[in-house]
This record gives sequence, structure tokens and C-alpha cells, in this order.
Amino acid sequence: MSEGLAARNGIPGGTPTWTRTTLVFAALLALLAVSLLVSLCAGRFGVPVTRALALIWQGLTDPSAPMQAMDERIVLLVRVPRVVLAALAGGGLAVCGAALQGVFRNPLVSPDILGISQGAALGGALAIMLGIWGFPLIAMVFVAGMVALVLVGFLARVSGRTETVTVILSGLVVSSVFAAVVSLLQFVADPETSLPAIVYWLMGSFSSATWERVLIASPGLILGAALLWSLRFRLNVLALDEAEAKSLGVRTERERWLIFALVAVIVGSQVAVSGIIGWIGIVIPHAARLLVGHDHRVMLPASILLGAAFTTIIDTLARTATAAEIPLGVITALVGAPIFAVLLRRHYRERSDR
Amino acid sequence: MTIGFPKAATRVRKVLPFMGLALVFALAAHPAGAQEVVFTDQANREVRLPKPADRVVSIVIPMASNLIALDGGTKKLVGMNPTAKSAVTQGILGKIFPEAKDIPSDVTSPSFVPNVEALAAVNPELVVQWGDIGEEKVAPLTNAGLTTMLILYGTEELTQGYMTMAGKAIGQNERLKALIDWRDAVRKDLAAKTAFIPEDKKPRALYLQRALTDLAASGTKGNYTEWSIELAGGRNAAAELVGTVTINKEQVAAWNPDVIFLNAFEAELDPSWVYKDPILSLTNAAKNHKVYKLPLGGYRWDPPSQESPLSWMWMANLLHPDVFHYDLRAEMKKAYKTLYHYDLADADIDGVLWTASQGDAANYAQFKAN
Repeated sequence: MSEGLAARNGIPGGTPTWTRTTLVFAALLALLAVSLLVSLCAGRFGVPVTRALALIWQGLTDPSAPMQAMDERIVLLVRVPRVVLAALAGGGLAVCGAALQGVFRNPLVSPDILGISQGAALGGALAIMLGIWGFPLIAMVFVAGMVALVLVGFLARVSGRTETVTVILSGLVVSSVFAAVVSLLQFVADPETSLPAIVYWLMGSFSSATWERVLIASPGLILGAALLWSLRFRLNVLALDEAEAKSLGVRTERERWLIFALVAVIVGSQVAVSGIIGWIGIVIPHAARLLVGHDHRVMLPASILLGAAFTTIIDTLARTATAAEIPLGVITALVGAPIFAVLLRRHYRERSDR
Repeated sequence: MTIGFPKAATRVRKVLPFMGLALVFALAAHPAGAQEVVFTDQANREVRLPKPADRVVSIVIPMASNLIALDGGTKKLVGMNPTAKSAVTQGILGKIFPEAKDIPSDVTSPSFVPNVEALAAVNPELVVQWGDIGEEKVAPLTNAGLTTMLILYGTEELTQGYMTMAGKAIGQNERLKALIDWRDAVRKDLAAKTAFIPEDKKPRALYLQRALTDLAASGTKGNYTEWSIELAGGRNAAAELVGTVTINKEQVAAWNPDVIFLNAFEAELDPSWVYKDPILSLTNAAKNHKVYKLPLGGYRWDPPSQESPLSWMWMANLLHPDVFHYDLRAEMKKAYKTLYHYDLADADIDGVLWTASQGDAANYAQFKAN
């Protein structure tokens, strides 16, 4: 396995591969562009497509123009920030999954493995219980996610070094503890107000997206993803055997924690503004690997594009299919789980064929 | 609702005498235990009390203040839900009955999981629990030998049904009759007048059950507030929803309600939240200053309570100021005298009606103190 990976990672491949990759990227970009446009034109409030496009153009060319009419505000203050946030969050979650699957050399790893999601969930549930919302809630969620990662770090470090397996197990331990506290909060929550709010929040949604939230979340999401992308060569090495990686002069432990910290920044930012969204971080990297192969130099950007497009489409469904908002977690699980099952079977069939 | 209402009324007329009859029959059948109270609860179980209960625990939230009203005091309420307790002690009931803060609330979790040992410690003669939350939250009570009355939430018929059971159970038949008669009288008065309002003259009202964490609106099924809105001559702007579900602001814009009612549950929510929002502030409701937060009296005025008729009058006066002219302040004073033996001060009323935060809303001047 590791030799195969090394061969795939080490050599960029011949010209035909690059042509194929270029085509795939062109298709992904087109998919993202189309899903963004469709999403901006779709919604419960009727805005004709031409009017919506004109409004977006106006927003791009003259962003300071006062917005008086309802359709202007719907498109520019509700839909655009929501679509931007969904795309950024989806891209961020996907690139996190891709990076972690590389680090752990395990295709079943997802961003919640480090306990960050459950930590953030606890922060959010606690904030809702205490009647805190808006920016303080976002801050609490982010801090709680970071605390979870630090706890995992402490737990996983035994006699000065960290094994991959102890990280996974520590993540599991921390997740369970935080999940238990979330359950406890649900148990004591007011069944008429905070309980439904917590439950809804735990299922994930972009329904409260505003430009303010985009501004709060985007630095973490964009910077985190950009820095992960800058580590693409290291990820290729980290995806090798521990011994192999060390022989190539990589300080595996330090680099691994750097990646974990970046993942925490991305997941913390995402959960803070849109609750827990599962499946994207595990399904999208698989699909991306299928399209462009295992090389992180192309796999990371492919994951970002695909994750952004997928989340935009899912969120558009969530807010337009019925008058009620469908929680995102429900759709990502319903759509993601079967896709994942198919990918998994295909993956192992190919391996056994080989 | 013009069709739904008479049907509902018939159902109540059918149900109430039947329950009264069952009681009379029970009393006649047991001449030895002349005080015995027997009735069938809303889960169709027979509840049998050797004598009217003096010690009642309510695991159900709104029943706590209901019992206080039915008894005219807090003496018989020996345990309640923590959420009910915070509503009682923070609202005006805390001022009327300061001793309520000492009533135990460790008998149940907020989500209605009973703590049987804490329950046994207060030695209740009757425990009130929801009838639709699953056997595992009822069985511990019955297994411990506690007499349990199961009730259901949602409609005025069910509310009158469980008020009737509770009133009989604590032996307050006269007070009970007064409270039920008041409900029926106000309801009939409202229905008679709204029957003449054409459907297109009924404002489309949106009730937001949650606003600050997520936006949740009430659709057509099983929500008492939406029923109250229709009773008071409004139409539900969110009629396409079933139950209370999360929506987005774009959907509110698409409905463009004429009136927005905000819940009384979220303490920090008031109409300024709507006026500051870029989308909601462009709805008809906001443009015409018809955004109202439901009052918080002896209980919140959105779910069914002993004060529901006041809630209906408040709503009717707001939705149809040309049709309804209830003197709400006088009605409130009268009701509080009956319900709690309390003389409401003008400042109390201002607090209940939130005149500080919504006194300048459209049609709200009628509620000003003279």
C-alpha cells in the first residue's frame, strides 16, 4: 500500500494525467459556478431570475447602493451571504477531511474525529441554554472547539510523543465526554424554548447566515484552507509510513499538530456559524480522490471545489424544498451515506481486483 | 376556522356533560365514600381519589399555574416542573404568591422525566403528567403507587377537559365552574362577532414561537396560539406549515404577514428585534407597526392557561379594533381578583402588557391606563 502511494505521490504522472486533471478542474469549477448561480436565483420569495442576476450585478458593481426593496434585500442580504457561507463551510469541511485522511492514512477519518465538533457543540448548547446568541455564542462555540483539541493533545501525548492511534482514541474519549455533557444540557433544557433550539442547532443550518457571520467565519475558513493547501507537499509525505516520512526528514509529530490546529480553526469557524454538519468531510475527499487521485497537490483543491458545490446544492434544497427549513444534517446524511457506501464498495473492489 | 369552530364547540358540549355525568354516577355508586372522586383522564384511564386531593404535583408546565388559579392559592401545589417554577417566580405570580418560591421543583426534569424519590418525599395525593410522552415517563409514577392523571395539550377542548379534571380532583367545583363559564362566554362572544367578518378582512398573522436562536413559526396543527389567532378574527399566515417548525426570513418575506406575534418565552425578545431586521422590517406587519409580543401574566399568554380569555381579548382588540372594544385593563383587574384574589395595580398591568417596549405599536394606545 505504502509503496503504491509513494509511487502515486512521488511522480506527478505523465502528460495525459495532467490533461485529465485540467479537465476535471474545469468541470468542478463549472459545477461550482452553476450551483452558486442557481442557488442565488432560487428561494421561497419569488424573484425572477433576470431580476436576481441584475441585483447580483448591482451588488458587485455598486455595493454601497441603498437597498429599499424587499427583493433587493432578499437577494443581497439573505441569499448571497448564505450561499457564500455554505460554499466556504463546505469547502473548508472537505479540505479538513482530505487532510486528516492523509495524516491518519485512514479513509474513514472525518473532521469530527478530533473532538472539535463535539466540543463546539457543547459550547453552542451551553450558550443557547444560558440565553446567549449572536456574537458571544459564536465565540463560545469557537473557544469550546479549541479547548477540545487542546484536551485531545494533552491526552494523546504520552512520554513526550504522540502516536496516531492515541490521537484517534483521545479524540473519541474527549468526544464522548463532551457529547455526554451536551446530552445532560438537553436533559435539563427548557422543553419549550432552549431544547428545540439546541436540537435544531445540532443538526446544522445556514438559515441564520448574514454578512456579519460571513465576516466572522471567513477568515478562519479561508486562511485555514489556504494554509492546509500550503502544506500539500508535507501531507503527501505524512501520508507515507511513519518511518518513511521520518527518513525523508519530516518532523511528523509537529507537522501533524500543525494540521490538527488548522482543522480546528476551520471546523470551529464553521460550527460557530452553522452548527454541526456531518458527512461532507468524509464523503467529499473520497469523491475527489476518485476524480483526481491521491496526490494532495490536486486532491486538496478538488475537495474544496467539490465540497463547496455539494454544500451549496444541499443547502439550496434545505431552504427551498418546503416552507420549513430542513436541517442540513438530515440531508447530508441521507445523500452522503449512500454515496459513501457506493464509493467504499468501489474502492475495495478495485483494490481486490488489483 | 369559521367552519372548524362550531364543530369544536359541539364537541365540547358533548364532552363536558358526559364528564359531569360520569362524576355524578361515581358519587352515587359509592355512597359510603361520599367524598370519593372518580374520573377518566385524557389517556382514557380511570383516576380514583378517596377524597379531593390536598397535595398535587404537576410535572406538566402550564398545569402548575392552572392549579394555583383553580384553588385561588398555592397551598395544594406541592411540586412542579422547574420551567413552570421559573415562570411563576419571575412573573407576576411570584409577586402575588411570594411563598411559591419554596415549592419543590426537583420532582421532575424540565423534560418531564419524573424523579420518583423526590416525588415520594413530598407525598402527593395526585400527580399530573402528560399523556403523550411515552410510557417510560409514566410507568415510574404508577409503579410507585402514585395516583396519576394524564392530560393532553393542544386544543381548548383538551384544556377545558383537564382544567375540569383538576378542579374536581382538588374539590374546587364552584371555582372551576366560574373559570370554565368565563372561557365559554368570552369564546362565544368572540365567535359570534368574528363570524360576520369576511375572510379577506381577517389579517394574516404570523406567530413566531422562537426567534432569537432559530426562527420557528406555528402552522395549523396542534398549536394553541394559532387557534387563538383564528378565534380572535385572524388568519394564520403560516397555514401551509404543519406543527411548529423552523423557517427562514425569506419565507417570512414571501408570506408578508399583516401582523407578527412574538412569543412570551424568550425574555430578551421584543418588537425592536423585528424593526431592526433588514428583511422583517419590510413586511406589512412592521411597516404598519403591528408587531406585538404576547403578554406574560399569571402564565405566558401564548399556550393555554387560566388567563386564556384575556389573551383572546387582547388579540381581538388588536386584530379588529373596529369590531372589538374590550376594556382589557378592567377585564384583567376583574380576572385577577377572581383567579388570585389580587388587586392588580396599573403598573402591574403595564408590566404584563409590555407597554414599555410596545406601547407605541399600532392600536396599542387603547391599552393605556386612563
